[in-house]
Amino acid sequence: MRMGDLLIKLNVNDELYEVKVKPYWTLLRVLRDQLSLTGAKLGCGTGECGACTVLVDGKAILSCLTLAPRAVGKKITTIEGLSKGNKLHPIQEAFVKNHAIQCGVCTPGMILSAKALLDKNPSPTEEEVRIALSQNLCRCTGYVKQVKAIMEAAEALRKGD
Amino acid sequence: MSKFFRPDEYLVPKTIDEATSLLAKHGDKARPYAGGTDLLVEKPPQVKCVVDISSLPIDYIEKDGGGVRIGALSNCASVMSSPLLQEGANSLLARAARELGHGGTVRNMATIGGNVCSAVPSADFPPALLVLDARAKIAGPEGERTIPIQEFFLGVRKTALKSGELLVELQVPEQPANTGTAFCKHGRVSADIALVNAAARITLGQDGACQDARIALGAVAPTPIRARKAENLLRGKSIDDALIEQVSQTAAKETKPISDVRASAEYRRDLSRVLTKRALQEAVKRAKEG
Repeated sequence: MRMGDLLIKLNVNDELYEVKVKPYWTLLRVLRDQLSLTGAKLGCGTGECGACTVLVDGKAILSCLTLAPRAVGKKITTIEGLSKGNKLHPIQEAFVKNHAIQCGVCTPGMILSAKALLDKNPSPTEEEVRIALSQNLCRCTGYVKQVKAIMEAAEALRKGD
Repeated sequence: MSKFFRPDEYLVPKTIDEATSLLAKHGDKARPYAGGTDLLVEKPPQVKCVVDISSLPIDYIEKDGGGVRIGALSNCASVMSSPLLQEGANSLLARAARELGHGGTVRNMATIGGNVCSAVPSADFPPALLVLDARAKIAGPEGERTIPIQEFFLGVRKTALKSGELLVELQVPEQPANTGTAFCKHGRVSADIALVNAAARITLGQDGACQDARIALGAVAPTPIRARKAENLLRGKSIDDALIEQVSQTAAKETKPISDVRASAEYRRDLSRVLTKRALQEAVKRAKEG
């Protein structure tokens, strides 16, 4: 361990990882480069595009603006934590069925934003879905299919599918 | 010195006293780390010691008589959803919080203390705090002190905090009866920081005339400002469209905006006029609604 290194324990998708980090490494970097959880993306690196969105204690936050040691003691959920083995989460299913994915870079962040929304508000209006997605930029689509997918997923989740 | 942000220490004080000691010990080389939405974008290269203050007991929004006390670590989402800030003149803070940033993620992280301590001219909470007569409670190695919010901002990214001091609370008093408040912000796109932001507070007398007026503008001077000449034009008068127009023009003349990549000084000056007008119209409407 060199001067300035920290040994920290992170709870990611219900698994405990011990990693050696520098104080200035972001959570995004640690997830991608040390834990190989490459779902979260480095888009802008300044907190404006939302491609790095992950859930911390259920809340959607920007991992590119979070220093890794801040995440100690918290429950981190990445997109990889949504599916159970080969079974996709209803939001993921809805994205696939509705062709809501083009290049896929915005997708993990968007799905996690949607999860955070639906966990808090299981019956959002379309307007509320659009407002929730304002934190995730998509360069490929016009957001139409994502909104449709999330409205469908919300219904599926309410029905208990 | 590296031109990159490369701190080699990450400290997590457990008490406010421990935090202020660490900040005093390391001086300019230390920075408090709250939400991180300014620190991790600025990435100041002189910072060698990150002081994680996020677990200090200053994340609360509490009733204080007819007013509120807001812990500096309250994030925008908490301010927006606080039951104490849904109605009345002080709901201005929840409305201002809603305008900060471009999405819920930023608002889950950015804190009112961090926004105030950044002291960037375009910060969104300061104009609201100015018109509400807020006070800033500061903890330091020599104890606590509380100052009016207008004394907190000294210049671009310059605050009244002395070495080792930490902003711990914003105190917002009960507002007078028949008072309405409004917040307006405009950027190039909705996700942008403010080219100009404006807050207004209007108190009406029993006769319906303006008993008291406050107008604060951000991003048009090195610090957020009160447009005092404009305010004076309103006091004692019956408020109509013509007066609002005149007052807005006066407020715009009190600004000292710069031209930068986002807008020219001329545009900012005119935008100040427009946002002052809109804020006054909304504040009067809310004051009448009671």
